[in-house]
Amino acid sequence: MMNSGASNNMMSAAPASGNNAPAPGLKTYFKTPEGKYKLQYEKTHPAGLLHYGHGKTVTQVTLAHLKDKPTQAPSQSSSTLGVSSGVRSAAARLLGGGNGSRALSFVGGNGGSKPMSGTTTRIGSLGASSTGNMVGNPNFDAKGTYLVFNVGDAIFLSDLNSQDKDPIKSIHFSNSNPICHAYDPDAKDGHDLLIGLNSGDVYSVSLRQQLLDVGKKLVAAQHYNKDGAVNNSRCTCVAWIPNGDGSFVVAHADGNMYIYEKNKDGSGDPSFPVIKDQTQFSVSHARYSKNPVARWHICQGSINGIAFSADGAYIATVGRDGYLRVFDYKNEQLICGGKSYYGALLCCAWSMDGKYILTGGEDDLVQVWSMEERKIVAWGEGHNSWVSGVSFDSYWNAPSSDGVAENVVYRFGSVGQDTQLLLWDLEMEELVVPVRRAPGGSPTFSTGSQSSHWDNACPVGTLQPAPSMRDVPKLSPLVAHRVHTEPLSSLIFTQESILTVCREGHIKIWTRPGLPESQSSNSDSLSSTSLKEKHSISGKVASSSYKQ
Amino acid sequence: MGVAGSKLEKALGDHFPEGERYFGLENFGNTCYCNSVLQALYFCVPFREQLVEYYSNNKNQGDGDENLLTCLAELFTQISSQKKKTGVIAPKRFVQKLRKENDVFRGYMHQDAHEFLNFLLNHLVDILEKESHKAKNQAVANGPSNGQVNGVKQEPTVTWVHKYFQGILTNETRCLRCETVTARDETFLDLSLDIEQNSSITSCLKNFSSTETLNAEDKFFCDKCCSLQEAQKRMKIKKPPRILVIHLKRFKFMEQLNRHKKLSYRVVFPLELKLSNTMEAADSEYSLFAVVVHVGSGPNHGHYVSLVKSHNHWLFFDDENVEMIDESAIQTFFGSAQEYSNNTDHGYILFYESIVADKC
Repeated sequence: MMNSGASNNMMSAAPASGNNAPAPGLKTYFKTPEGKYKLQYEKTHPAGLLHYGHGKTVTQVTLAHLKDKPTQAPSQSSSTLGVSSGVRSAAARLLGGGNGSRALSFVGGNGGSKPMSGTTTRIGSLGASSTGNMVGNPNFDAKGTYLVFNVGDAIFLSDLNSQDKDPIKSIHFSNSNPICHAYDPDAKDGHDLLIGLNSGDVYSVSLRQQLLDVGKKLVAAQHYNKDGAVNNSRCTCVAWIPNGDGSFVVAHADGNMYIYEKNKDGSGDPSFPVIKDQTQFSVSHARYSKNPVARWHICQGSINGIAFSADGAYIATVGRDGYLRVFDYKNEQLICGGKSYYGALLCCAWSMDGKYILTGGEDDLVQVWSMEERKIVAWGEGHNSWVSGVSFDSYWNAPSSDGVAENVVYRFGSVGQDTQLLLWDLEMEELVVPVRRAPGGSPTFSTGSQSSHWDNACPVGTLQPAPSMRDVPKLSPLVAHRVHTEPLSSLIFTQESILTVCREGHIKIWTRPGLPESQSSNSDSLSSTSLKEKHSISGKVASSSYKQ
Repeated sequence: MGVAGSKLEKALGDHFPEGERYFGLENFGNTCYCNSVLQALYFCVPFREQLVEYYSNNKNQGDGDENLLTCLAELFTQISSQKKKTGVIAPKRFVQKLRKENDVFRGYMHQDAHEFLNFLLNHLVDILEKESHKAKNQAVANGPSNGQVNGVKQEPTVTWVHKYFQGILTNETRCLRCETVTARDETFLDLSLDIEQNSSITSCLKNFSSTETLNAEDKFFCDKCCSLQEAQKRMKIKKPPRILVIHLKRFKFMEQLNRHKKLSYRVVFPLELKLSNTMEAADSEYSLFAVVVHVGSGPNHGHYVSLVKSHNHWLFFDDENVEMIDESAIQTFFGSAQEYSNNTDHGYILFYESIVADKC
């Protein structure tokens, strides 16, 4: 009710409630101040593949961009890639021995060679399986941008830029359902995809190898926490450590998070001590140099989401206990955090500059946490159910009409179990005074007074209690659009589009209003090559310049 | 049954809570509506303790005074004083008394659990009020007795059922002509909420207390203007109850069909909840401790089970059977996002207890 004024004006959607009308009730576009977002196409899993276990797992999507071009043999730009090139080349040479040049292609593009030890087991099986055949398309060279998503007991791979609704590949897990996954575009030895299972098991694989393989099983995988030997509770979230040299973290439903390093033996028992106090944060390191190398006990109950800041300095966690926690990753120290209004927190995301963290949860609120102020600076009200996905739009450029540089506007989005996508603007100057009062001015929300404890800076490592409703400035969404018929699970911003994902495994791709007039200076953007691919011709030539 | 009991004991192992009893309730032909509600009430610990105390204070009275209150007190005492930790009990006397007291529940038809809860709580209130009147009259004869202040004209008696379950709503109506706000207080023992597809309890509560405009055919008689006027109306919670019972209106009367239809909407309920639209300064916080679940696709048949939190474990009560379940399994009772679904187990009555009240 609070936001009805703002959202109704902008909303082109059918009312989000009440009628059970299926897809026809959903509009294929929504309006924003900058223009119309249009439904470009949809991706889903093949019908009839659903097992009875389906529904217990929620679909998540990972966007993966395979950068390297197959036909580009050793070339320029090795300097920027630095050490990483060594590993790839090592793998490439090994691969090259057993296979044709096509298989070699995925590691091409870099000079220099610094052979690495410890990769031999993987390389061996890798060589055996990548025969260079591709399902239904002889010219397929596994380049471009892919969607990796889980449904039931399978992982599906779809080509983001093709119109095909169905995935190009499925990988089935016989024992347990995949829950979470993560992709590292800068992986050095080809293992760029992590998959965490309901059983607690974790795999790392090369995405390209999965694409090149014809089978329905995971190939050439490194298996961690086999049969839940270290921790048999559900994997809730996996993440590569930015600039972490192939290290990654795995969060579990029992409140523990593990750090894994590549090239470390994962067969033995790292034997972590018993957790004395379930409510306290504690870190233990493996006694021998084995995987996982460390265990962080974060909280009681499930860790529902983790996110690294872009520079890898901080990691944020959210969980069943309703707390957002921010850790200094290197120093293994709790920096700050705070509780939701009520209920569990389900998701979190950083702003690109590391200044803000968004969280969403069971109080139907989108929280904006300020790293500078170490407190919640705004609550976004507008969802009619739990908030399951949040993300900053890092491609958004605020209109610079007034030319005031300080008044930074962040654009972010959220999706909820109310089937809605909401877009928000966070304007820093507006936050000083509570923003946009409720139309109709309920006295409860006359937010002028800030309670005294509110302004006190809190010492490092303390968690803040839930603030009172009247103490936190409120935001209203810019747009509220009902995008699916099923509750949503996540959203992703790309340069050209917004991806919305529902729990049952349907993905919609909404193109941004207009097309970018020129390529942005952001050379690392996921979309730069995909745009080229649409206009095909100069794809190969052009792409090389994007590798810088 | 014995096997099921030992299974539960095994599952809990050393964690079996000291002094706690987990007993299934026998079904006497479609009495699952009753069993599911009784389990939820039994695990409303302050309420249970009150009943057990009541039983021990009144057990010497003859059978002539038997009523639903004494039967319930007896049943709860019977469960809590079992030698075994788990097993099955037949709530025979209670069900017999219930059928005698109210002919709605007399037959062997499927009954509405919320109607039963409502009837039971109001009936307990009636009995307690009558007893209190009796005590008062005796007190006039015998001098002051405990708990009763003599000589002071009392407000309507506040029984311990009120103490736990009663909250106060304020119905505020603002005349749009003279701006006068008329406030009327109403008491409630539970809140019945309209539900929407893919929404949350938070959202349903917001809708419940959202501002409604009275106009056209539905104008408000303003005492100051002495005429029918357009007005804005809203419900606020003036006094939140210690035990907040939320009833989801899943059975909707369809006029075209001239019968009730079950809404299987997915309505998510958090394990912790706050009421933000109260008139008090602090947002009162609640924790979910029981859910009565309706199983089935229609209103006139089906089954009731309950989920109960006891000592940080969640238990699943299905008549005679008691099982442990994981907290994460609760989400399977939210409802279905699509109309036609195999999932027919839907949360119907939610029991939240105030966290603050425990500390006081």
